[in-house]
Amino acid sequence: MLLKRYIPIAIVAFFGALTLSAWFIDNETIETFANDDATQFFDIIAAFAVFLGALNLLKLQFIKVLKQQSGWIYSAVAIASFFFAFIIGFFIRGAYFVGEDVYFSQKAAEAAILSSGSSEVVVPVDWGAHVQTDGSLFQWMFKYIFSPLSATMFALLAFFVASASFRAFRARNFEASLLLVAGIIIMLGRVPVGSLISSWTIMYILAFSIGIGINSYAKNRNIVFGWILGSCGLITGFGIIMGWPIDQPAIFFLPSLQEWIYLVPNLAGSRAILIGIGLGIVATSLRYIFGLEKSYLGE
Amino acid sequence: MKFLEDIILKLGEVDRRVIFVLIGLAVLIPLLTPISLPVRETPTTVKFYDGIEDIPKNSKVLVSFDYGPSTRPEIHPMNVGVLRHMFRNGHQIYISCLWPDGIYMALDALEEITDEVNPDNVSTFNIKEYEDYILLGYRPGAEAVIKGLASDLRKVYTVDANGNFIDDIEMMDDIKNLNDFAYIYSGSAGYPGTFEWVKYGGDPTGVPMSSGTTSVQVNEVIPYVQTGQLIGLLAGMPGAAEYEKLINVPGIAIQGMAAQSFAHIVIVLFIVFGNLAFFIKQRRDRKY
Amino acid sequence: MSFSAILGAWIAAFLTLGIFSYLYRDNPFYKIAENVFVGVSAAYVAAISFWTQIYPNLLGRLFPKGGPLAFTGLEFDFNHEFNILYLFPMLLGVMMLISVFQQFNWMARWGIAYTVAIAAGLKAFGYLNSNVLNQVSASSVDIFSGSLPFFSLGGDSVFNNIVLVVGTLSALMYFYFSKEQTGNFGRFTRLGIYFLMVSFGASFGFAVMGRISLLVGRFNDLIEYSSADYNYATLGVLVFIIVTLGFWSFQSPERKEN
Repeated sequence: MLLKRYIPIAIVAFFGALTLSAWFIDNETIETFANDDATQFFDIIAAFAVFLGALNLLKLQFIKVLKQQSGWIYSAVAIASFFFAFIIGFFIRGAYFVGEDVYFSQKAAEAAILSSGSSEVVVPVDWGAHVQTDGSLFQWMFKYIFSPLSATMFALLAFFVASASFRAFRARNFEASLLLVAGIIIMLGRVPVGSLISSWTIMYILAFSIGIGINSYAKNRNIVFGWILGSCGLITGFGIIMGWPIDQPAIFFLPSLQEWIYLVPNLAGSRAILIGIGLGIVATSLRYIFGLEKSYLGE
Repeated sequence: MKFLEDIILKLGEVDRRVIFVLIGLAVLIPLLTPISLPVRETPTTVKFYDGIEDIPKNSKVLVSFDYGPSTRPEIHPMNVGVLRHMFRNGHQIYISCLWPDGIYMALDALEEITDEVNPDNVSTFNIKEYEDYILLGYRPGAEAVIKGLASDLRKVYTVDANGNFIDDIEMMDDIKNLNDFAYIYSGSAGYPGTFEWVKYGGDPTGVPMSSGTTSVQVNEVIPYVQTGQLIGLLAGMPGAAEYEKLINVPGIAIQGMAAQSFAHIVIVLFIVFGNLAFFIKQRRDRKY
Repeated sequence: MSFSAILGAWIAAFLTLGIFSYLYRDNPFYKIAENVFVGVSAAYVAAISFWTQIYPNLLGRLFPKGGPLAFTGLEFDFNHEFNILYLFPMLLGVMMLISVFQQFNWMARWGIAYTVAIAAGLKAFGYLNSNVLNQVSASSVDIFSGSLPFFSLGGDSVFNNIVLVVGTLSALMYFYFSKEQTGNFGRFTRLGIYFLMVSFGASFGFAVMGRISLLVGRFNDLIEYSSADYNYATLGVLVFIIVTLGFWSFQSPERKEN
């Protein structure tokens, strides 16, 4: 109990209180420890946590392979990929300089010197710098294996967003309609094509949409016809008088409208959410420090 | 009319793979047949540009690469543009990374700038490492790293990305912590990124800062722009395209705007069409 | 183009199109690419974390050149002095690694507790200052001074400021669940919901924008790899995947989705 429960709670209480109080207490020792060493400890433990994650991953995949559970072949692929990248990261420097040129191996670098007949020497990169060196084997693995996979996983979502737009986003009530209309205005107004859509086009679309709405409620053809004729006539008249400028009236010009929506009502909602999140985080952090919240223990 | 409604209803039940193909074509075709569309700057991008112009010439600036390959199309053009803008104004750039992939993004960005030549085949930017820029590298720890930088940079970085001791680098002589920078910029794709830089970097030190973010993050970050905690903002790929126009160096962000525009039109049509089918079905169900 | 670049392009094209093949249906190409991603990313992040943090900042401080622990034969010269306090994160880190064994999995709690503590201590002040105080302060806007126009689409105006204040207050009030949202209070919070819906709609629009941008980036890379410089990698891989998937779909009709 002491090791499994009370010491972790004491760690949270002590270091949490120390870090929080360092913002307010003007003491050099506390400030130096909290701002420098304590945060370094955090960084180091975070780095170890990454290794823990990798070990757990290997454990799960090995169990799947050894027990030949469904899809074990793919687990073998995951394990092989892990060790491939692990060996490149930890056991192969992968960066040997000959002047400014970089080669993956000592052999390749020496062969390059021989073939060019230069008097340069091979300079292997330092351990540690080999994972951050331009042209290294580690960077090759990053560029041609990790990078495409990571990018494509996220790019896949574009297709599902499109599918959801068609099949799932429904204007079932006023709030949902408001959400969709705001989304559409932002989507069109933020990209170049939005500035090619004339404000007069939007006005005509609006007039027809209101006509459809009137038809749903009034169910009187005369009223609907009268509205459409009247509104379109008014819009046409103003258009002729003003000479059909593409961005006037500005309130119907998509880029201007989206800017207003973005910087006024949207900002109000976002600010409220941000304040709410801030208050929630403060309350939760204090709960952790005071030991009221113990979810990190698995309780 | 009933015939039209029947067609709309039938199309509303189309296989989702047809939708995938349509959106794929909407993006691919404009990329294969380059179409130029006019880019219109938004106030937040102009504010961002002016914020960098207002930095006193030949200052020391911190640029943080806080993104990876998954968000490269949005953030990378911004960061390359920022580096161009900064080098053009004679600033010394100190590059840090809160994401492990950020270091490679930084290397690519620097390579793009150093490889650039003018029509006379002379390098546009004659920049040298340890004179014009230094690559500090990646450190794990998110906000703890920023807090450490705000206090004492040498506790976080003892060596740079090339393994050289920080104390041996002349460019680092006058740098003790974040207060010694004239400006902080973060190209951020999520956590850690803009929020952490604002909370633990910009706000406590008062150093002017700004950020370029992915489109997904823009709505959460905009309150910081209105309060002045961020001086302007580059919002996603359209923001990067606007910035490329302002610095007068068209790049891949502007090239991608046609594809972006057409894809948006297709998605808006999907939403309108899908809702049409929904209303027709709803009305028919109510009748019976 | 060097051999390593061409080989890399073919691998990148295969992995990219393998992931995209999921759009047709779940298939072996997708599963292979997915598992390669899982394995490589775990090792990649581990390597980066070790060489950029543990190696210079922990080992460099516990085993500095000429330090008291130099007798072990381990010396890492990063210009640090020996600091005994760093035995604490070393202990916690090793305990985290040992916790991979079932009977010792409680050992991870100490390291997790420390990270929770630091995160809580940092976030409590950070969020209070930046998210609450600064945002509340910015909500006090100019309405009565008379120096602003009544309405402006692009810049500051009295109307915009009123909308901002009313919107922020009403949306905040919506999240107050200690009072029943009925009557005038209910109407006010309903207004808050509308502002939140506009905000969510804008978020949706930006989310779509972000995803499409990522797709543009991937297609740009695939177009680059389809050139002669890379021996038409994209086209070669695409034909291979389509033919194989077509054959596989034909051979296994019982796996077809309903």
